[in-house]
This record gives sequence, C-alpha cells and structure tokens, in this order.
Amino acid sequence: MSEQASDLVQGTLDMLILKTLALEPMHGYGVAVRIEQMSDGIFRVNAGSLFVAFERLQRAGTIKGEWKTTENSRRAKYYSLTERGRKRLESETREWMKQVAAIARILEAS
Amino acid sequence: MSLLRNISSGMRSLFRKEQVDRELDEELGGFLEMAAEEKMKQGINRAEAVRAVRLERGNLAVTKEVVYAARWEAFLETCWQDVRFGVRMLRKNPGFTAVVVLTLALGIGANTAIFSLLNAVMLQRIPVRNPQELVVLRWSAHSRPKSIGHSSFGDCKSTEWAVSAASSCSLSYPILREIRKQSREFSGIAAFAGPAQLDLSGNGMASVVSGELVSGDFFQTLGVPAASGRTIDSADEKPGAEAVAVLSYAYWRTAFGGSPSAVGKTVTLNGAPFTIVGVADSGFTRLSPGKSQDLWVPLSQTAALRLPWGGGTTASEKTNSFWLTVVGRLAPGVSLVQAQTATSLVFRDQVVQDALLKPGDDPQVTLLPAQTGLVGMRSWVAEPLFLVMAAVAILLLISCANVAGLMLSRAAARRKEIAVRLSLGASRGRITRQLLTESLLLAFAGAAVGILIAFWGANALASFVTANRYSALYLNATPDLTVLLFSAGIAVLTGILFGLAPALAGTSANIAPALKESSIGTSKLDVRGGRKFALGSGLVVAQVALSVLVLAGAGLVIRSLANLKKVNPGFDTTNVLQFGVDPERSGHYNEERTRALYRELQNRLSYLPGVVAVSYSSDTLLNGGLWTSDVQIEGRADKSLVEVEMLTIGPDYFKAMRIPVVAGRVLSPVDMASAPDVAVVNRVFVRRFLENREPLGLHFGGSDPKDAKYEIVGVVEDTKYDDLRRDPEPIAFLPQKKGQAYFAVRTSANPLAVVPLARTELRNLDSNLPIFDVRTQTERIDRMLFGERLIARLAGLFGVVALILACIGLYGLLSYEVARQTKEIGVRTALGAQKGDLLRLIARQGLTLVATGIALGIVGFLGVTRFLKSLLYGVQPTDTQTLLGVGMLLLIVGGLACLIPARRAMRVDPMVALRYE
Repeated sequence: MSEQASDLVQGTLDMLILKTLALEPMHGYGVAVRIEQMSDGIFRVNAGSLFVAFERLQRAGTIKGEWKTTENSRRAKYYSLTERGRKRLESETREWMKQVAAIARILEAS
Repeated sequence: MSLLRNISSGMRSLFRKEQVDRELDEELGGFLEMAAEEKMKQGINRAEAVRAVRLERGNLAVTKEVVYAARWEAFLETCWQDVRFGVRMLRKNPGFTAVVVLTLALGIGANTAIFSLLNAVMLQRIPVRNPQELVVLRWSAHSRPKSIGHSSFGDCKSTEWAVSAASSCSLSYPILREIRKQSREFSGIAAFAGPAQLDLSGNGMASVVSGELVSGDFFQTLGVPAASGRTIDSADEKPGAEAVAVLSYAYWRTAFGGSPSAVGKTVTLNGAPFTIVGVADSGFTRLSPGKSQDLWVPLSQTAALRLPWGGGTTASEKTNSFWLTVVGRLAPGVSLVQAQTATSLVFRDQVVQDALLKPGDDPQVTLLPAQTGLVGMRSWVAEPLFLVMAAVAILLLISCANVAGLMLSRAAARRKEIAVRLSLGASRGRITRQLLTESLLLAFAGAAVGILIAFWGANALASFVTANRYSALYLNATPDLTVLLFSAGIAVLTGILFGLAPALAGTSANIAPALKESSIGTSKLDVRGGRKFALGSGLVVAQVALSVLVLAGAGLVIRSLANLKKVNPGFDTTNVLQFGVDPERSGHYNEERTRALYRELQNRLSYLPGVVAVSYSSDTLLNGGLWTSDVQIEGRADKSLVEVEMLTIGPDYFKAMRIPVVAGRVLSPVDMASAPDVAVVNRVFVRRFLENREPLGLHFGGSDPKDAKYEIVGVVEDTKYDDLRRDPEPIAFLPQKKGQAYFAVRTSANPLAVVPLARTELRNLDSNLPIFDVRTQTERIDRMLFGERLIARLAGLFGVVALILACIGLYGLLSYEVARQTKEIGVRTALGAQKGDLLRLIARQGLTLVATGIALGIVGFLGVTRFLKSLLYGVQPTDTQTLLGVGMLLLIVGGLACLIPARRAMRVDPMVALRYE
C-alpha cells in the first residue's frame, strides 16, 4: 500500500479540499476520489486525515455540512464552501503560487 | 467568531454526544459503502471489496478515534474518563484510599488551620471602604521631643524611644488640628486612642467595657455606616457638645440583645452620662488586627471620662501630650509621597512652634499603608505563628513522603496491569496522566477532609489565642476564599509531589519482564525492584529526618515551658485569686473614701469561708504590667538616678502573697494614710544600690525636691515582677493611698470558689462598682507564657502525628519488602535459617533507615534550631538530652514498626513460599 497521502505537504490537504468543494458541494468519498483523479492518482487521501480535516474546516467556518440524498439514493453528508472558505481558498492559492514560484527559482538556479 | 463556533460545536459534541456519534458513524459508513461499491464494480465480491477499502483508506474504527482525538473536547473527555477510572480504582482499594486520604487530610488540614490564623492576622483586609487608600502617620526625629507625655495602644509598630532617635505613631491634638486644617492631600482624617477600660452602668449589672476615643470624622473617613441610629460626626467633637457613644455591633448584640431601643438610651461611663446615638455597621469589627472595641466616644470626652491621657481637663489642647493614632485617606490622584511631603511640613512647623523639637532634629512624617502599618496583634502573634507554620509545612512534607511511599508500593503491585496497557498500545504519557489524575483525586479528597479539620482546628486555635489576651479581641479565623485557594493550591502541589515519582517509576517498566513476572516481584536481585526499594527507603529516611525536626523542636519548647513553670517567682503562686476595682473612675470617690472602701472590703473578704489572707496592690505581679521610676537613694556615693520597679500595696500584702520578710517591719494600715512615707524594699535593692549596708532608716525618692521621700522600714525576699525569665530587679513596695487596686485573696482550696462571694461583698458595699480581670495567679502566669504554650501544644501534637506517619511509612515499606522477598525468605528457611536470623534481617533493614533518618534529622535540626532561641528557657538550642531522647524514641517506635513485618517473615512456610508462583 503506497501512502502517497503522507507525501502531501503539511497543511495543503485543507487547500485541496477547499478547491475541490469550490467546484460543487460533495460528500466525503466524492472529495477523496476527486482529489485522486485530479492529481492523476498521485495523492491518495486516507479517511482519517480527510475527516479530521472536515472537522477542522467546519469549526473554522470555511465549509458547512448538510445531509442530502445521493444519486444512488443513499444519505450522505454534503460539504459546501462558505463565503469565508472562498476567501481563504483565494488567499491560500495566491500564497501557494508565490511560494512554489520562489522554490522553483531557487531549485533552477545553478 | 471561529473560536466561538469551535467552542459551541465542541459543547455540542460533549453534551449531545450520541447524536454527534451517530452522524459520524453514518458518514464513515457511507464512505466505506461508496468505496466498496466502486470496488465491486470491478467484479470483486463484497467482503473482498470492504477488506481492500480498509487496507487502502485505513480502519474506520481507528479513523473515528483519530477524528475524536483531534477535537479539543476530547481532552476534557479523557480527563473525565481518567477521573471515573481513578475513582473506580480507589474504591476497589478502600483501605489504601482511606489511609492516603487521612494522611493527606492531616497534613493539609493542619496547614489550612494555621494558614487561616495567619490569614486572619496578616492578610485579611481592614473591613472598611477601600482600605488600600488609608495610610497611618508615623513621625520620626533625630532626638526625643522635650518633656512630652506619650501613650500608645499597640496599633502601630513599637515606638522607638532612644535619646538620639525617636519615632512613634502617637501625635498631639494640636498637630492633628493643623494637619486637618492645612492638608489638601487627604479626603478624610481619623484619629483615635484606646481602648480605655471604662466602667459602664445603667444597663443591668455594672461592667467594664473597652471604649475607644475617636475624632468626629472617624467613621466618615473609614466609610463605616451605622447599622442603627447614627455614627459619631464632627459636631460631636466640638467642646460642649452632648456626650454621645456609638456601640459596636457585637457589643450591641451581647449587651443589649440587639434591641433597637438601645439607641437613645443613656448609660453612665466612668460616672458621666453618655447617650447612645447609634450602632456601627456589623462588618466593622476592627481597625488594627485583633483590636476590637465595645464602643466609641468622641475625643473631646477625655476629661469627662477622667482619663489621664493628655494630662487632665485640657487634654485635647496640650501640645506636649502625644496620644493619638492618626489614619488618613488619600484624596483621589494624590500619591503617597506627595501627601508625605505635605504632612511632614505641617508636622515640622508645629513641633518647632511648640518648642518640642528643633529644625535640626529633622522632624518628619512617614505615611505607612494602613494594611501593614497598623500591626495590632501581629506584633506579638506573628513569630509563634510562623514557627508553627514551619512545623506544619514539615508535617505536610512528611505526609507527602508517606503517601509517595504507599503509591510506590501500589505502583509496583500494578506493574503487570500497566505493562498490559502499554502493550495494548497506550502511550506512556497517557498512563502517566492517568496515574497523576489518581494522585490529584486523592489529594483533593484529602484537602476536602482537611478543610473540615481546619475549620474546627482554626476556631479552637482562635479561641485559645483570644482567651490569652488582656483585652477583648476579635479574630476571624473562619476559612475564607484566600484560605480555600491556599488549600487547593497545596492539594495540587502535594498531588504532583507524591504522585509524579511513582507515576514515572510505574510507566518506565519494561513490558516483557513485567508481563512475565508474577503479581508480586521475584527476587532481590531484580535490579528494578532494588531501585524502587531505594526510592522507598529514601522516602522513609526523609520522613524520619523530618520527624526529628518537629519532635526535637517540640521537645525543646516543652522543656522550656516546664523550666519556666518550675521557676520560683519569690512568692506562692498557687491558690490566689485576684480581681481589679477602680472606684475613683466613677467620680464618686476621693482618696479617703477609696482607702476606706479598700479597708472594709479587705476586712469582709477575710471572713469569707476558705479565705486565708487578703490584701491588695496597684497591679498584680506577673500580669504583664510593670511600673518603674527613676530615684535617688540616700547614702549612695553615686548620686545619679537609678531605675527601681515600684508597686503600691495594702496591709498584709506580704502575708497574702507569702513573700518572706527579711528585716524591719511590714506596712501597717496606718502607713496607708499618714505621712511620713515609708517603703519596703527587696534584697536586690539593698545588694545592688547599698552594697549590703544597713538599709533601714535610709530615704529614697525622685530628683525633684517636691517628690515624696520614702523611708525604708523593711526588707523582703526578691520576687519577679513582670517577666519569669529575668532575674529579680530592685523593687520598692510603697503604701497604696489611692487609685485602682487588685485584690489578692489567698484561699485554702480552689480560689475560684470565692468569686461569687467576693462579688456579693463588693455589691453590698457599692452596687455600681464593677470588678474586672478576675483570674487566679496561675492563670495570669499561663497567659504570660502564651507563646510558649501555643507552640508547645501544637508542636507536641504535630510531633506525635509526625511520629505516627513516619511509623506507618516504615511499616508499609517493610511489609512490601517482606511480601516481595517471600520466595527468598522461603529458600533461606528451607536451607536452615533460624527465626532469629530472619528477624535480624528485617530489623536491620528497617533500623538502618531509621538511624540514617535520625542522623540526617539531627544535622538538619542543628542548622535551624537558632530560630527557636527566643522561646527557650533553661535549655540550650542544641540540648543533647533532648536530641538523644528524640533519637531513642524514634528508634524504639521504628523497632516496633519493624516487628509486625518481621513476624510475618518468620511465619513464612517454605513449602508455600516456594510454590508461591
């Protein structure tokens, strides 16, 4: 079992969840699958980390949960982004881009 | 906002745990199902799919735990779990729990009780409005003001009265008046003096009350309202104002039954009528610690009350009469330094103008915060209290060491349990926390019981202290918030102190050997067990050493007390009752009538059944008072003044007190009234001042030609006057012609039986005359030895407790050792060891520890014994006998504590022991 999820840079899981939910409200499994798909299977999200992150984001007021029925008529808790979450995603994305660019410049310099 | 949301959703999961739990279950279940369905689409069967998801995504039960643990409320929840688990563990071992809780209750209770007293005396705020704004005025100068009369009443730190430096808190009325007039730095100024002992009649039987003279703005400045009627105000202080009095709430309740009709009533104080205008607020129990009053009257009533302060009728105006303690309330925005500078200027101008001091003497005023500046009873009770506090702190350490020892052996017994929990994945930190929680539970249970002990103990102590005072005293020793916080604080501290070492020792176990070993350890060769024994031994040694400190201290103080009680004061102290009367206070007696009353009373008392002899004197010996005077003695080469202790006496005084007469004659009834003045002196007087020349017929007296000259007509044996510790000083006994008298009634049996008869006799002579300070001579001596008795009692009590605790500690350790070594003992017995050998084996282990503790304790004691020095009498702080005695006592009791475990060891059946596992 490859634990790619542990390769996630500390703190980035929150950002990835926010990004995923920015597209549309989704349940836990959907978020996990979507992150895997979008990363071409590089990141695999462990259930423990995922639900701790949901708890954390809910308490920070960036996402909110709501029980709905799935297309397979199963009850599931759908998470969606709040206004606060949208702002946080924007600022975190900007910050992340800046850092990545800076790191890239350092690594390319030779 | 997000913090609020965090707290509220935390609360939700705490209080609606089931719902939150169900939701998480459903969500995780859904997650598993969806993932499994995905897998099943690839053609795997359901069971396989679920297994695969578990492998990929992690066990869902574990996931749930992880989500739980990430929440803050999880911490609270595990704490609560720990508490419940701890309570269950403690309930499973009721014997252990009871011993630990009781041990801690003793330690914490004793500390709380003594701290309540310290709190009452040292820490409690003055019960008036904003006491932090109040300052007390203290003046100082490089020399003593010229010819001033000075009185102080124990409110302030003691007066410094040397030739080159003087300082005091007493001020004259003119100085008070100027400060009032000129200072803008105070929003109010209160002056007071007292207590004065006042004869009160007009409310049932005549009695003596403590009254304080206060300035008109006293109550307004302090912010004390009236509970009924009004308080004294500025108009009452004006000359010619109607004489008024305000009762204290407590006195109103006891003497007037709290009746509203008390206000408006007129009573007679020292013969003058006073109208009661009000009752002070119930909260106003004191200003200076321990000084309580029955009533207050305006300063201007000094003359009406015939008080000597300030010298008679013009008292309040005299510039050289220093008798008022002054407290000011700083005005808003004024700093202490500003007020001090301004007040100093006023003071300097006034004393220079009054020709008391010169500017070169640098007269100035220091403002002291009233909270610390008004010392009251703090001045005499602080030292014994701090010593007792040190003793109880040691007691607490002993109980901690004791409990730590008990916890240690229990931790050893629980090693297997802990190893199982460690191997099942509990972290060491988690288990340490669990064990500490148990310790804290025990500590708090101990504190709860301890506070009950303290509640009772502090009040018992407070009444012991108050019973030994000369005037009414108020001491609120009921534990308040400060005290409860203190107890909770020491509970936490002790819990950590005795819990941490065992907890760390418990969790440091290696799992594998701990799991393999039987419930009780295997052999002495076990290194770990050995180390634990070393820790336990250290604790026992510490307990013994600390017990030595307490016991040796108690021993020295008890021996001093015994020495003091054995001191021969020069007269027979048994079976003498004394009481005071002061007829001249009422204003109805002149000197002649007073003498006639005394003569008649003496006569009537002497006919009472059981009475052997009766006399009277201006004061009683060994009652705390002392009157000295500087005199010139005829026939001395050195013409300078010498200090002589004085006492005026009635006829038959030496017979009543049983002081042997050495030469000449005693004072007769005729001497009481007639000139020439005669006197009887003691042997030290003759030896020191007259170099043993014939004293009879010589004269002595004050340096002023107007002073009376006394002819020496007799010599008596030496007696102690005010202090049992000091050698007798020269005393002159003069005939009593006027003033208050203490009657001394010598009886053949219990002198207290005479009290009602004496009261009746006096009432028959004058029903308005109260008697005061009714006590036997032995009671007076006991009261003088208050500090010694307090410490001897408490230290003795704590010494015994310390001894018992140390024994329990030793017994516990050895019992554990014997149990642990059962197998070894079995092998030894099987190989032929005799019972005597086993006894020696166990006793040697125990007594080595005790001896080490004793040695360390004695070394420690020699280091701190100097703090006891002021309390000792007739015994060295390093008294070998006491130290040896304490050592022997501990060895004997320690030996007894070894005996039970040793007997258990001797009874070990080798067959049983070898099959033990």
